[in-house]
Amino acid sequence: MSAEMGQVKIRVPGSIARGSVARARALVIHPNERVERKDGKWVERNHRFVSRVVVNYLGLDIAEFDTSTSIGENPSFGFAFRVTEPGTLKVTFFDTHGGRFEGAAEVKPA
Amino acid sequence: MTLRGVTRREVFRGAAAAAVAAAWPHGRARAQGFLANLAPEEPVEKTLQRLFGSRPIKDGSQVITLELPLIAEDGGNVALSVEVRSPMTPQSYVKAIYVLSDKNPRPLNARFNLTPACGQAYVAANLRLADTGDVRAVAEMQDGALFMVKQSVRVVVAGCAA
Repeated sequence: MSAEMGQVKIRVPGSIARGSVARARALVIHPNERVERKDGKWVERNHRFVSRVVVNYLGLDIAEFDTSTSIGENPSFGFAFRVTEPGTLKVTFFDTHGGRFEGAAEVKPA
Repeated sequence: MTLRGVTRREVFRGAAAAAVAAAWPHGRARAQGFLANLAPEEPVEKTLQRLFGSRPIKDGSQVITLELPLIAEDGGNVALSVEVRSPMTPQSYVKAIYVLSDKNPRPLNARFNLTPACGQAYVAANLRLADTGDVRAVAEMQDGALFMVKQSVRVVVAGCAA
């Protein structure tokens, strides 16, 4: 996969009924570095990994994840949300080097 | 020299640990997430104790569905999903789902903080697992009640020391 780092992809179901609960998936292209080790001891440096993920729907933060180096490369998270109104579902990934990667998907309930 | 059987060194070590614990969830660490400053390397029992203290953790097999492969070819990318059967109303909801891997040097993989607007206590992620062992999911209800389930995953190629 030759995607650029920081690219965010969000997948929401194509048809959603208003008032129902939908499941979405969000992915960021990111190395999510694991802790380097040398002679069994870990290397003292600021490892670059995604440490926080915020899910925002209709301008309201509905979920927040605290994440670590023990999430795989290109972190991908699934979650649920109650579909109330048409609007934007936004997911923002923050990493330990000040990186901020945002993606959005339009939710259009039938 | 001992003070009621506690050495001076232990007193200092305890004070330092308390200072770190007090500073940890705030400031920059908070702005970038609860795990941004790497969690200490420790056995899973210690992590559970650090997170939940002496609060009782009930068996969650009736309320939590933990989905993981039995055998993970690549420990660097293991699909996980957790679903907690619970209402998601302001009166009663799942506040957080914790995922811990017993064999990882830093056992807490992630903490998922949820709100009633999620409609369903469901999360999924791609985990890194260091070795064959149990993966645990702990659900914390809004009233503080804790439920836990675990499942063993056989890891063929380690996700390295995550």
